[in-house]
Amino acid sequence: MAEKRKRTRTVAKTSERLGRMLAIVPYLVQHQGAQMTDVARLFDVPTDQLRRDLNLLFMSGLPPYGPGDLIDVDVDEDGGIWITMADHFARPLRLTRAEALALYLRGTELLSALGRSGAPALASALEKLRDTLGPDMLGDPAAIQGSAAGSPPEQLDALRAAAGDRQRLRIEYFAASTLAWSTRTIEPEEVFSSMGNWYVAAWDVEQDAERLFRADRVRRAEPTGERFSPRGLEGAGRTLYTPSGEDRTVRLRLRPEARWIAEYYATTDRMELDDGSVEATLPAKQLEWVAKLLLRVGPHAEILEPPELVDMVREQARNALANYGR
Amino acid sequence: MEPLERLLNLVGLLLETEHPLTFEQISETLDAYRAQNTDTAKRMFERDKDILREYGVPLELRDMDAWGGEQGYLIPKDLYYLPEIAFTPEELGSLLVAAQGGGGDTPVEQAAQKLLYGADGGALAGLSGGPLAAGSDARGSLLLETAQAAQDRRHVRFGYRTSQGKVSERGVDAFAVVFRRGHWYLVGHDRERDDIRAFRLSRFIGDLTDVGPGLDPPAKFSAADHVERGPWVPGGEDLASVAFAPDVAWAAADSFRGASTRGPREDGWVVVEIPMADEQEMAGWILGFGADAEVLEPEDLRAGVVARLEAVRG
Repeated sequence: MAEKRKRTRTVAKTSERLGRMLAIVPYLVQHQGAQMTDVARLFDVPTDQLRRDLNLLFMSGLPPYGPGDLIDVDVDEDGGIWITMADHFARPLRLTRAEALALYLRGTELLSALGRSGAPALASALEKLRDTLGPDMLGDPAAIQGSAAGSPPEQLDALRAAAGDRQRLRIEYFAASTLAWSTRTIEPEEVFSSMGNWYVAAWDVEQDAERLFRADRVRRAEPTGERFSPRGLEGAGRTLYTPSGEDRTVRLRLRPEARWIAEYYATTDRMELDDGSVEATLPAKQLEWVAKLLLRVGPHAEILEPPELVDMVREQARNALANYGR
Repeated sequence: MEPLERLLNLVGLLLETEHPLTFEQISETLDAYRAQNTDTAKRMFERDKDILREYGVPLELRDMDAWGGEQGYLIPKDLYYLPEIAFTPEELGSLLVAAQGGGGDTPVEQAAQKLLYGADGGALAGLSGGPLAAGSDARGSLLLETAQAAQDRRHVRFGYRTSQGKVSERGVDAFAVVFRRGHWYLVGHDRERDDIRAFRLSRFIGDLTDVGPGLDPPAKFSAADHVERGPWVPGGEDLASVAFAPDVAWAAADSFRGASTRGPREDGWVVVEIPMADEQEMAGWILGFGADAEVLEPEDLRAGVVARLEAVRG
């Protein structure tokens, strides 16, 4: 059993290295003189592993395997890689169906998040991929669709460029919690979309804390000229809420009509109840927006904690009713 | 000798050969097999074939001659090589950026590595901006399997938890997968309910089971439109007219698709017209603005909001 597992692992590793070589060699043939460090970065492989793999190439070639039939790899003193006798590997292996499909799905996601007008090159790239690979690989084009967003936030490119370049930015930002514009100095690290909105995870220099900014609420973004070293802030897939020491704990019992709250917000300690309700804890820096949220679901949510939230929701209702003369 | 070296030689040999080669011919040509006794060499060759096929190398067994006596191996060039795709640098660059936002999804990374060979400086320049992740809620094999089922028009079964928390087993003719605002949906014909439904992949429980061939979608059916029309979308034929406090009007108009601002009222509040599909849903959205919003029209919506507020006030 242990023997078998070990073998499976060796096979996986060899297959992975083979796959990488069958992709790297075509790249090297087409990019004579490519830098060792650039190639290592592009193919996400440690430089010494790449060097080991390239050394193996010397030993491979075509029959009759004389000195003139073997692949020749030369690394010059500047780290440039030159390769000859590898014409049979000048083009990569075709995509498998899983690879083609996975790439197409990923492209569809990004196109949907950016909008067609926001990413015309991506739109035509996906069309070409589909047309060239044909129905065997990518089937009926109608079977995979993205619902197009409007247009990407105006400052998205500026934010992404600054994140890639590690440039400090000065931004004008509209904060939903205070409903006001303010100027911030940020160190943008990750640009990502979640639930249809674009965000940038950044370090707020004045606050000296991590903050998440909605890209569509950034009015201006200008580099300050300073560089920063990234702290490794989390990007895509993170919860959209940064917990802090000032958090209030809100515990709710949500009936089926209000369950979406547990799903939409970063709730914790979820407990399913027999009647289809769910109990969940919602962290919040201030209770006011929670009170407004609870106005939406009315009797379908029961407040277990904190007790003062009950009065806050009633007060919100009273204030809103004043608009209607009630 | 390292297995990788043997495999690279095997691929090269079978790609360049004009005729299929038998195992005997292969083992005579390649040192790595010749150095072993026949049984060991044969086992080694079997294992190598598996590795190559697992990686997608089209290793084929063909008749050596027209009389179908002996069979041999070769790798047909037209099946091995990636077909030429005439991407512009911008197009290839945008695909690579999309792949980069994947967060370590193996098939996506492998696809991108294969496409890199054709990338020039222009295509690679886009990568320096860092990843741009679309923040999808479905990953890996479930999404791939569901997409494949839709492409192949399969009838599938899966466990599903509705947004209301009800769990049941569903049987669906898969029409399409649709990505909308961070979520992947399977759109298809629900056999038990005899109706077209959209299912969020993140609410699937367990794996997808393939039952057999499925039905075709109705003529001119658009899965993306079906998802877009879902009850959760505040967009539709009817118009709601809502006044917002000046401070929030900007954010309010921004959060409703298709909303148009009608200018300020005498008291400075901004009137916004919003397309509406579901009155209950719209009332919920507006209630979230608390005292910063007032429904003007239609009367039903106004009355509905007031009733819900009064129920809370007690």
